[in-house]
Amino acid sequence: MSSRESFSTTGLVAMGIGTALYAAFNVFFNIFQLPGTQLVAMRPSVSIPMFFGYIFGPVVGFITGFLGNIISDAISWGGFWWDWDVGNGLIGLIPGLVVYFISKEDLFKKKGYITCIVLAIVGSIVGMGFAAYTDYLLGYGVSTIQEATYALFIPAAVTDAINGAILTPILVAAYAAAVKSRARRV
Amino acid sequence: MSTRFIKYVEGKSPVHKLDPRAKLTFIFLFVLSLTLTFNIALLVPLLVISLFFYLLADLPWSRTKETWKFILIITVALSALNYLTIAVLYSGASTTGKLLVKLSSPKIILEAATPVVKLLTLAIATATLVFTTSPNLYAPALGQMGFSYKQAYVIQLALRYVPEFIDEMKKTLEAQMARGFRPKGGKNPILKLLALVPLVVPVTISATLSIYDIADAMELRGFGEERCHTWYRELRLSKLDKAVVVSSFILGVLYTVLFVMRTLGYL
Repeated sequence: MSSRESFSTTGLVAMGIGTALYAAFNVFFNIFQLPGTQLVAMRPSVSIPMFFGYIFGPVVGFITGFLGNIISDAISWGGFWWDWDVGNGLIGLIPGLVVYFISKEDLFKKKGYITCIVLAIVGSIVGMGFAAYTDYLLGYGVSTIQEATYALFIPAAVTDAINGAILTPILVAAYAAAVKSRARRV
Repeated sequence: MSTRFIKYVEGKSPVHKLDPRAKLTFIFLFVLSLTLTFNIALLVPLLVISLFFYLLADLPWSRTKETWKFILIITVALSALNYLTIAVLYSGASTTGKLLVKLSSPKIILEAATPVVKLLTLAIATATLVFTTSPNLYAPALGQMGFSYKQAYVIQLALRYVPEFIDEMKKTLEAQMARGFRPKGGKNPILKLLALVPLVVPVTISATLSIYDIADAMELRGFGEERCHTWYRELRLSKLDKAVVVSSFILGVLYTVLFVMRTLGYL
């Protein structure tokens, strides 16, 4: 989806639904914890902005991560941290850049899935890197680069990269199968 | 409605009565000022402003204690981490005795506390905005602040669907459990993650496919045809709102000027 198409009705609805879905998943896995899974640190929901970015483009992916994180923070504790919201936006934006690497026809083929995994990992590193190091550079909470790296960046980027690299291609494959059997425009 | 989930507390305080556009302008310029602060002397006035903003909102303790608990945990944990990291990594102390002396140094305490105070100031200001602004007002406020109504509508849509998707997740979990699905524990994080696929995939795919139906329904009702759009909730700025907007701009300009002067070496 080009940036012009991102602001079509479908693009705008995708932003709204993606945001709601990301926020709902965050809240669900935070509040209604499933027994034995300890999901707070796992954040499987991070695959939602990646998936929306991959399918609907970088703008939709960014808004899904950015607004979704603001809303889930507003639900879970009542405020928000703007740089972590931008970091979550980048997590969705980077998989959306797939349109610049491979053709539309290859999106749902092996080449597409491999690109999806790579971009999910890159997105996690860039997004969480932005959030952690802006915390350090702007002096939000942490004083040293070591803290930003070991207490914020590595735990967040590694868990998000694992979640994204596993769940996003599964979601893309499920979407491709669902679209194939659907007798209408998508 | 999303008010069921978002931590909005109804009230009649001056902060509740403020126009949401005035509050959003204040928060934007406040966060900008906070981002540009470079020492504790500039940070303390912002902390005072955020505390004043919070206290003026007259929020009940029973509804805000969870938020304060969260803020307190973050503040204490990060303060301790900052304090120990700075003392151990940057103090240059070679023996335990010297390290203990460094740990009580006011310079190290200040260096460790400043970023935490900054984070605390941000948390108090943003939490006050969330606690005092009805979720139904964000889209009309953005729409009447000059944003395109289409962009503002994204927020309206998102807030409309959050409770539905949470309910959908609960229903899917129950339906899958009735078919024998059990979330697996164990130590392998990848297996734990894969165990969630039957829960995550159906909700995501059905929500994604519904996008095209919703977009069609909106277009059939003429969404996006007109450039101009009116809002059911027409907002009007009172004298107090205008004063808040003007004060916010003064604050933003002041902190920007101070930051530029410091960057150019005048401070």
